[in-house]
Amino acid sequence: MHTIKQLSVFIENKTGELSDFTHVLSTNDISIKSILLADSTDFGLVRTIVDNPEKAKAILEDNGFSVRFTDVFGVKIDDVVGSFDKVITALSKSNINIQYTYSFYEFDIGIFIFSVEKDKFNEAVKSLLDAKLEVVSASHFYK
Amino acid sequence: MTFSKNESFSKDELEAWQLSHLKETLIRVFHLVPFYKKRFEEMGVRPEDIKTLADISKLPFTTKKNLRDNYPFGMFSVEMDQIVRVHSSSGTTGKPTVVGYTEHDMDIWAEVMGRVFTMGGLTCKDILHNATGYGLFTGGLGFHSAAERMKIAVIPSSTGFTSRQLLLLKDFGATAITGTPSFALHLAEKAKAEGYDIKKDFSLRVGFFGAEPASDGLKDEIANIWGIDYHEVYGLSEIIGPGVASSCKHSHLLHFNEDHFYPEIIDPKTGEVLAEGERGELVVTTLTKQGLPIIRYKTGDITSITRVPCRCGRTLCRIESIVGRSDDMLVINGVNVFPSQIEHVLAKVDDITLNYQIIANKKGHLDKLDIDVELSENCMSDDIGELTNLQKHIQHELLNALYINVTVHLVAPKSLKRSEGKAVRVIDKRK
Repeated sequence: MHTIKQLSVFIENKTGELSDFTHVLSTNDISIKSILLADSTDFGLVRTIVDNPEKAKAILEDNGFSVRFTDVFGVKIDDVVGSFDKVITALSKSNINIQYTYSFYEFDIGIFIFSVEKDKFNEAVKSLLDAKLEVVSASHFYK
Repeated sequence: MTFSKNESFSKDELEAWQLSHLKETLIRVFHLVPFYKKRFEEMGVRPEDIKTLADISKLPFTTKKNLRDNYPFGMFSVEMDQIVRVHSSSGTTGKPTVVGYTEHDMDIWAEVMGRVFTMGGLTCKDILHNATGYGLFTGGLGFHSAAERMKIAVIPSSTGFTSRQLLLLKDFGATAITGTPSFALHLAEKAKAEGYDIKKDFSLRVGFFGAEPASDGLKDEIANIWGIDYHEVYGLSEIIGPGVASSCKHSHLLHFNEDHFYPEIIDPKTGEVLAEGERGELVVTTLTKQGLPIIRYKTGDITSITRVPCRCGRTLCRIESIVGRSDDMLVINGVNVFPSQIEHVLAKVDDITLNYQIIANKKGHLDKLDIDVELSENCMSDDIGELTNLQKHIQHELLNALYINVTVHLVAPKSLKRSEGKAVRVIDKRK
């Protein structure tokens, strides 16, 4: 239930590539919940959480994009000092390496998305639950 | 002034010399190189069947593939204890082609390069800035060894490090330079940018350029910018390296050292020998070499031969500057690159497809090779680091195989154009 299907999409660093991507999603009524762009000089990876990952993947592939699912999880935090630190500390204590993280806000609640090594996924979620942190359910994002 | 009397041979003297040396070479290869014995027997020809120079057309051709198939030393006609130098160029697929020189071959090389330098008027009083690549290539060391024998002071500057080269050129007072024409232009541009006054700060009066095609207009431009006489030097490692032919100061045509390297022009499709003045593929037979004697080597270079006398008095035939290739070889900053070599490297890399696009272009005056490489669908890493490593890995493998820097661009799966039949893999934007 904690596994969120993030879309990872390879994009070349060319004018118009990203707008082609976002346009495909918007015209098919898919909402982007959160997005992270990582880039090198020649290419980039778009990592995004949408409200209907299966549909988004199929449509993007029909439009020539290469899409792959990556399992990530989200952790709710309050907008108070030290809340992010609590999350990171819990993961660090369990020896879990964070591959990348990005965030978004819903009103006054922040949600941090985490990618960790595949075989550490369950361990990571457990360490957070043990630390009394709220790992969001995937259904939170989906339509 | 010529370097040796052979350069002024009469027609009869030349032909007698060529025929006797051809016969010696044929006996040598037939008895000492199993590859040739087999090829000659397959074609039903023996050395004694070659009675005139025209009979050479009865002999089989040798190709780069033959050299590769006999890698590394299978085509040598001497044992390694006779070899004093080995050079190599990158092969068309994977394995390099290897050439070897005996002491005698080094003398021949010095002899023909001596002719080149003499065309430029070099003497022991000159200082030669040798901005040709050193290493396995025949270029740098070919110029170097011959210049040393003529007691010319050689600066082994090789290529790259443009600013330092300019400093040395000025402070050492070099009077002659070697390199590719594009590097000569690049140096000039950099010199201007760094505030040098080209005609005042440098003492150059002559340059020897080659390894890549250059139009007559480009040659004149380089001559004017640097205030030098421009001499083109033609050569290829399989024959000997630089020194096969070169231009004197009277024209852009190149005097061919046909007393050592017997030239023919053939129709690359039919193999038929073409007449004087007709353009076709240059085929060369070495007449005096021992380490790697070679019979009717197909150079892939398109040119023509003329026997119109030159004002300099040399009687050896001349070829025009290479006008093209009979194959898909690219010349990148003087280095020969075959698309098949690139494909060979890519085939060994995981996570990519064999759909790729090679783009040759100019960056300033230098050549630049870019390759778009398509990721395979099942690769699709979610990790920028992994993808960057993949990109670097391919660049490193290409550098190892081709000896040149290539910029690799990863592109999305299925994003490169598919074509029916033979794919257009190479776009040469320099043309």
